[in-house]
Amino acid sequence: MPKRKVAALEKVEADLVSLQYKIRRDPRSYAQEFYDQWLAYDAQRQIFVSSPATASNEDVKKFHDLVDLVAHVANLYPEITAPFPDHLKELLNQHHAVLDKELREKIVGSLVLLKRKDVIDSTGLLTTLFPILINTPSKTLRSLLYTKIISDLREANNKSTNHKLNRTIQTVLHNLVTSDRTSTKGMWACRITRELWRRQVWTDARPVDVMKEACLSDNEKVVVGGVRFFLGGDKEREEALEDDDSDDDVDLKKVKHQGTINKKTKKRSKQYEKAIEKIKKQEKKKHAPHPLNFSALHLIHDPQGFAEKLFQKHLQNTKNKFSLENKLLVLQLVTRLVGLHKLTIISLYSWFVKYLSPKQANVTSFLASLAQATHNLVPPDVIEPLIVKIANEFVSEASAVEVCAAGINSIREVAMRQPLCMNETLLQDLVMYQKSKDKGVVMAAKGLQSLYREVYPELLQKKFRGKQATMGLRSGEIKLRRFGEEEEGGIEGLDLLARYKEEQRKKKAAEEEEDENGEKKEKKDDDEEDDGFNSDEWEIGSTDSESSGGWIDVSSDEEDDGPAKKKARKSKGGADDEAPDLVDTEKEDPAAEAERITKLATTTILTPADLAKLQELRREAKLDKMLGTTQSKRKKELIERHIEDGVTAEDIELPATLGKKSTKEERVALARDGKPGREEHKSTQAIRKSKKEAEGKSTTNKEKARKKNFLMTIGKARAKNKRSLVETKKALTNHIAKSKQGGRRRNGIN
Amino acid sequence: MGSSMRKKREKKRDFNKAKLKVGREKAKAANFTDTSFKSKSIHINQGALTSDNIDSAEQFKQNLSLCISAKSDNQRREAVAYITNQISSTPPNNPVGTSGVLTKLLPLLSDASTPVRAQLLKLFQALPPSEVGAHVEKILMYIRGGMTHLAPDIRTDTLSILDWLLDVAGDEVVSCSGGWLKTINSFSSMLGWNPNVGSAMTSKGWTTASKATLGTKKGPEAQARQIQALARFLEVGFKPEAPIPVKSAAYWDNIYRLPTTPNPFAYLNLFGIPRDEENEMYLDRGSRQRVFDAKWRATIEAGMEGARKEGGPVGRAAAALGRALNGGLDSPESGSGN
Repeated sequence: MPKRKVAALEKVEADLVSLQYKIRRDPRSYAQEFYDQWLAYDAQRQIFVSSPATASNEDVKKFHDLVDLVAHVANLYPEITAPFPDHLKELLNQHHAVLDKELREKIVGSLVLLKRKDVIDSTGLLTTLFPILINTPSKTLRSLLYTKIISDLREANNKSTNHKLNRTIQTVLHNLVTSDRTSTKGMWACRITRELWRRQVWTDARPVDVMKEACLSDNEKVVVGGVRFFLGGDKEREEALEDDDSDDDVDLKKVKHQGTINKKTKKRSKQYEKAIEKIKKQEKKKHAPHPLNFSALHLIHDPQGFAEKLFQKHLQNTKNKFSLENKLLVLQLVTRLVGLHKLTIISLYSWFVKYLSPKQANVTSFLASLAQATHNLVPPDVIEPLIVKIANEFVSEASAVEVCAAGINSIREVAMRQPLCMNETLLQDLVMYQKSKDKGVVMAAKGLQSLYREVYPELLQKKFRGKQATMGLRSGEIKLRRFGEEEEGGIEGLDLLARYKEEQRKKKAAEEEEDENGEKKEKKDDDEEDDGFNSDEWEIGSTDSESSGGWIDVSSDEEDDGPAKKKARKSKGGADDEAPDLVDTEKEDPAAEAERITKLATTTILTPADLAKLQELRREAKLDKMLGTTQSKRKKELIERHIEDGVTAEDIELPATLGKKSTKEERVALARDGKPGREEHKSTQAIRKSKKEAEGKSTTNKEKARKKNFLMTIGKARAKNKRSLVETKKALTNHIAKSKQGGRRRNGIN
Repeated sequence: MGSSMRKKREKKRDFNKAKLKVGREKAKAANFTDTSFKSKSIHINQGALTSDNIDSAEQFKQNLSLCISAKSDNQRREAVAYITNQISSTPPNNPVGTSGVLTKLLPLLSDASTPVRAQLLKLFQALPPSEVGAHVEKILMYIRGGMTHLAPDIRTDTLSILDWLLDVAGDEVVSCSGGWLKTINSFSSMLGWNPNVGSAMTSKGWTTASKATLGTKKGPEAQARQIQALARFLEVGFKPEAPIPVKSAAYWDNIYRLPTTPNPFAYLNLFGIPRDEENEMYLDRGSRQRVFDAKWRATIEAGMEGARKEGGPVGRAAAALGRALNGGLDSPESGSGN
C-alpha cells in the first residue's frame, strides 16, 4: 500500500494520541478534556451520518481518529460513553457498504476492543458482526470479520466452555443454513463451524447438526462444505492437535547455557522464567487426560435418516446437476455412514450398477465407495449382482492388467465385509487369475484366495484351500458365519484377567500359609479381605499388581509340600471354592471355560484397578500377537481399520501398482526426496559446509588447521624433519599415551 | 591460503589505474528506455502550467479543491482568498453555488493554520446571507466540532464563525435541530462549567482550577471571548420574536402557496431518525427558555457568578452574560404580554 497522502487538516498540532496517553494515566484529571473530545466526536458523527457516502476525506479521517480515542478510553468513562457501542453498531449495520475502508476497519476493531475491555459482551459483538459478514460484498471486510469472530469465540471458550454463547451462535448458524437452502450464505456457517471444530472449541453434537443441515442444502457449495467436514474434519482436528504439541518447543538447556554466558539482565532473567513456565505448562498438558472427543460421524443424530436423505436428494435424484467430483464426495459420505453405522439403504446398491464399468470416470472411487457401503448386515443377494458385474466388466484376460487388478481387489474388499456374496464358480474363476503374468493381478487374486481360506474355505477348490484351512475345516474350527450372525460379545482380554486373578489368589494363599506360621491375627484380616471388596484392591495403585518377585519365590517353595497347599485352599472362603479347582484341571471343556469367564464379568464388579490391569494385559497380549506368538486375526483387524478410515480409491488401485516398473524420472524423484537441494554440481561436503555457514555456525578445528596459511605451518614441518630418532620416539610414545587418556580433553574419561 | 590471496587481490584493485576508453559511446537504440533507476511510486503534478486558457469556472473549481488538498499553508490561504475574491466581485462568480462552497470548505474550520482560518471567515462573510440559512444545521455541526477541538486557537476562531452565523441567520441557529441544547452543551464544556463531567466521574472536589490543562495557555482573554460568545448566543435565543405583520393573504398563502423556506416541515421530522431531547428543534422562544431553565440555568449562573468575581475582562464579559440571562428571565412575561 502506498503511503497515504497527508492532507492539510491532519497536520494540526493537537495530538489525540498524547491525549489518550494522558487520559489513561490519570482519567480523573482529564475528564474535562475527554468530554470535549466526546462532544467533538458526537458532532463529527452527526456530520458523518448526515451523508455517509459523500463524506469528505478530512471528515472521515477526523472521525476515524476520534473513534479510536473514544474506544481506547471508553472503559474509564462508562457514563459519558454509554451510547458509544450502540453508535458503532448502528454505523456498521447501516452504512457498512459505503463506509471508507479504513474507517470500517477501525469501527470493527473498536467494537472488538470494547469487548476486550468488557464494555460490551460477546453475544452483542457477535450478533452485530455476523449479519454483516454474511451480507457485505467486500472481501477484505469479510475476512476481517471472519478472523474477529473466530478469535472472539475462541477467547470466550478459552478458560471454560461458554455454553450460553455457543448455543446462541450455533442456533444462529443453524438458522442461517436452514432458512434459505438455496443461497450460498450457508458457506459461512460451514466455515465457522469447521474452524471451531478444528480448534476443538466446539466438540458436541450441535455443530455436527449444523453441518448435517448444510449437507442437505440445495446449494452445491454449501453441500460440499458440509460433506468435506464429515470426511476430513476429524483428521484435521487431530493434526491440529499434534501441531499444537510440536510447535514452539523451548530448549531449556540452551536457555540455561545462555544464562551462564550472557550478561545478566532483568530481561534475560524474565525470559528464563518464561521458558520455565512454558515448559511446566507443556508438562502439565502432556500429563492431562486425553480429551475425549467423538468424531463427527459418531455424533450425528439419526444417521439412517440422514444417509437416506443425502442419497435421495443428491445422488438418486436425476435432476441433480452436481459435478461428478462433488457427487463422489457425497457418495463417499453416504457409504461411510452406511458402513460405520451399519445402515440399510437397499436402493443404494442397485444405483451403483450403472457406474461399475471401466469406462466410468473415477471408477476406482466408485469401487471404493461400494466396498465402504458393504457390511455384514447387507443381504448377500443384493450385492451378488454387483460382484458379478464387476467380474464381467473388469476381470477378463482381454482387459488391461490395471483394470483387472482393480476389479479383483475391489471384489476382495467387498467380500471381506460380506463373504456370503460370492458363489462358487465365480470365486474359483477369480482365484485362477493367480496364474496371470502380471504381478498386480496375481497379488489381487492371491489376496482373494487367502481371504476365503479364512472365512469360507468350502467355496475354494481343495487344492487352493491350504493346510490350515483344511485342518480347520476338519476340526470344525472354521465355521461359516450365517447371514446376520454376530460374534458373541465379551470383554476383550477378560480371560487374561481371570487367569491373572487366579494366579494372584494362589500367591495370596501361599502368603497366608506363611502368615499362619507366624501370626494368626493377620490371617484373620486376610480372610475378611477375601470375602468382600477391600479398599486396597479398589485403587489402581494397589499393592496387588505390584507384588514383588520375592513372594513368588516363597510361594514356589511352599508349593513343594502338598499338604500345606491343600490346607491353604481349605482356609479360603467357601464362595471361592469352585473356581480354583476349575483352573487347576489342565484340560477343560471350552464351554465351561467360556462360562467361567463370563462369570467373572457377571458376578464381580470390575474395579478401576481391575480395568487398569485389564488394559495392561491386553497390551501385553497384543505385543505377543505382533511377535507372532499367537495366530493373527487379520480379517478383523482389516475391517476395523477400514471402519476408522474408510476405503479410498488408492486402496483399490494398490495392487495394480505392484508389478509396475517406475520410470527413470520417478526413480530420480524418489531418490531426491528429502535430500538437500543441489542446484549446481557440488560435493556433499561443500553443500554441508555452505549450509553450516548459512546457519551462522563456525568451522571445526580441523577445518581451521586445513585452511591455515602455509607459511605459518612450514616452520613446524621443517623442524619435524630435523628431529633425532630419540625425539621422534618420545613424541610417538607421548602420542599413544595421550590417545589412551582420551586426548588432551580426556574424552570418555571422567 | 586461497582466501588470503583473494583478499590481497581485492585490496590491490583499489590502487589499480582505471583504463579510460577513448572515443564516442555507441549510439543508443531509438527505443532505448533507461531502466537503471528504481522507484516505488511516480508522482505526476496535476497543476496545470498555464492558467490563461482555463475558463473561470474550471479555475474556481480547481482552487476550491486546492483549499482542501494543498499541502502548503500559503497555497491554501491563497486559494481561499481567490474564492473570496470571486464571490465578492460584482457580479459574483460562483459556479458551484453557496452550498457547494460550504460543503467543500467547512472542514477547513479546523485547519491547522491560523491565516487560513482567518481567510475562511472572510470568505464566509462574503457569502450571500440569504443563502446561508438553509445550511445552518450542517454549519453548526462543524462549529460544535471546532468548539471542543483540542487546539485552543481553533476554538477561538470557531467562535468568530459562530458570531458570523448568528449575524447572518440567528433565528435559524437557535431553532434548528440540535442548535439550541447541543450548542449550549458545547459552550459549557468549553468553559468548563460542566455538570456532566462531575457526575460522570462520581467524585467530589471538582474545582474549576483543575480544568483545561492540555498544553493550552488559556488566558483571561480567551475565556472572556467565550463568555461573550455565549452571551451573544443566548441573547439571540431569548430575543423576543417580532410580531408577524398582519397580512390578509397569509391564511390562504399558508394553505395554497408553496412554502418559500427550504424544508418547511423539518420540525415534523418525517424522514429522519427520531430525535432525542438534545436534537429536538426548539422553534419558539418560550420552549427554548423552558428547556434552558430546566437544564442549564443553574449551571450557567453558577459559572457566571464565579467568572464575575474574577473581575477584569472576564468579569465584564460575565456581566454581559448576566444581562443576557436576565433578558431571558424578563421575557416570559413580555412574551405572555404580547
